[in-house]
Amino acid sequence: MTETTTVTESKTDAALSVPWNVVVHNDPINLMSYVTMVFKRVFGFSADKARKHMLEVHQAGRSILWTGERERAEFYVQQLHSFLLLATMERAGE
Amino acid sequence: MRIDRQPDGSFLLSEVDPPFDHVLRSIPACADTADNDAASGRIYPNPVSGKGSGELCNEWREFVEPELRHLFEDAMATVEADLEQLSEVNTTVAVPARHVDAWLNALNQARLALAARFEITEEDLDRRPRQIETERDFAVFEIDFFAFIQENLLQEP
Repeated sequence: MTETTTVTESKTDAALSVPWNVVVHNDPINLMSYVTMVFKRVFGFSADKARKHMLEVHQAGRSILWTGERERAEFYVQQLHSFLLLATMERAGE
Repeated sequence: MRIDRQPDGSFLLSEVDPPFDHVLRSIPACADTADNDAASGRIYPNPVSGKGSGELCNEWREFVEPELRHLFEDAMATVEADLEQLSEVNTTVAVPARHVDAWLNALNQARLALAARFEITEEDLDRRPRQIETERDFAVFEIDFFAFIQENLLQEP
């Protein structure tokens, strides 16, 4: 007879497994060239990809730069803050 | 004032005559957030907003903000040390390649803190011609001037 093990995911586990977005918000003071440089430096983006996200921030007011686990999202937000960009993290899908 | 990139990645800020020497030396004061909540809020923004963000923001203030503060102070100290080269007989500042990131950071601190303190908008920055009649007008000039330096430091060789 097969034994069945039931695993109950706690509310905390569920919350931790929800992916998080790293979002950069527009600040007209930051230079476009500077923002592009930061995206290349922090995320390893190509020049084209960094520029694409920079233009999205500039034109749409925000851009989602990365999505994934919370700890990594916190790391990226800290990195972006160290370059003085306006960055936040939000639960993906909210 | 001139900014010239050298083959080794360093920069020379030359012909730094008055009033530009004074403006450069004011970078730390421009970046000071101690007396202004708006400037402090911009240099140290919250990492998350909305419902349930209180705990994360509190942890951020306790653990992350001191590290950021230390980083920003280090960058500013590097710039202040480089500016010590300026004197009555020397109007050139040599910025080693390894100091460029510190300059970019310190200049950005100054620009963002000034903009927050004086509520500078995109329209203020686009307005031409420039007239400097008030402290706020001078802040716009400083933001522009520091941007000029940043743009030069960001140029690829």
